[in-house]
Amino acid sequence: MGMVDTPGERRGTKAKGHQRKRIGFRLDMTPMVDVAFLLLTFFMLTTTFSKSNTMEINIPPEQGEVKVAGSNILTLRIPGDGMAYCSLGDLAPRRIPLYEPGDKGRKALSGDMRSLLRQQSLSNSKLVIVVKIGQKAKYKQLVDIIDELNMMKIDRFSLDDYTPQDDLEIKKSV
Amino acid sequence: MSRIKAKRVGFRLDMTPMVDVAFLLLTFFMLTTKFRPPEPVVIDLPSSHSEKKLPESEVLTVTVSGDDDFFMGVSSQSTRERLFNAVILPKLEATGMSPAAVADSLKSFRLAETFPVERSELDRFVVMARFADQRLRPVVRADGGAGFEAVDHVIKVYKKANLLTFNLVTVLEKESR
Repeated sequence: MGMVDTPGERRGTKAKGHQRKRIGFRLDMTPMVDVAFLLLTFFMLTTTFSKSNTMEINIPPEQGEVKVAGSNILTLRIPGDGMAYCSLGDLAPRRIPLYEPGDKGRKALSGDMRSLLRQQSLSNSKLVIVVKIGQKAKYKQLVDIIDELNMMKIDRFSLDDYTPQDDLEIKKSV
Repeated sequence: MSRIKAKRVGFRLDMTPMVDVAFLLLTFFMLTTKFRPPEPVVIDLPSSHSEKKLPESEVLTVTVSGDDDFFMGVSSQSTRERLFNAVILPKLEATGMSPAAVADSLKSFRLAETFPVERSELDRFVVMARFADQRLRPVVRADGGAGFEAVDHVIKVYKKANLLTFNLVTVLEKESR
């Protein structure tokens, strides 16, 4: 490593007391090559093709009626006013805020909502959750609910249409 | 010549060409890197904890923007061409477009990643795309602020076309609970 004797310089001449300044000197380029190849390999190895994440959803076909006992159905109605109305079977719905009131980012559902879902699904293994989302609600709310259910490993849920009947149900809420 | 040259032992290579090649490759890669093509609309995807990856080929993507506008994209060019011939071509011919102009719009349509679709036409496009390629996987790529009603429309269209398993595109949320 280091400086090289250039073939062009006069060798074997007697040292004349002080060294002459060299004109045609050569640089050792090894470190530069190292850096170049390092950068090259780094870029080649770290380029990844970004792929989006997805959530999978199954919807029931048009003519697929599945009969479930009324007491095993937990209906979540999301009319779009920031509240969720949960009713078990034909009971009057409970009104629960969908997001924490202080949560600005709206990243997670409210604790009440989560504890209710967890408690209901643990107490009844045959529970089917029916999610009905109103036309005024936002798509993000659907994603958040499905995400929450996925994280709780609840796979028995389905989407259903929100009808005027549901509006009447909500009016009965506690 | 008369004198035989002695083999050098500690010889040095001139490394200039190697440096040239290295930097050439480096600049080549740096310059030819394509960034993602600009999209017709900016979609602010909702976040989730799902880590499933989206398949790269054979996807039928319906994008819903924050203003509830619909866009559609098909991954393969041949499917796009068949889609064009099935749905758009009759319309263009009805307006009395010249064949050259039709060929021109087909060319640009083949290269279009996504194209805007009217709400009422979405189901025709989806059914035709499905007809052109049976293996298409349906994907919904909607803005977090899009109305549920618009997304529901897409889901209903998929349901009508008998596509019962579909994916919702999200971004990963790193926050364990």
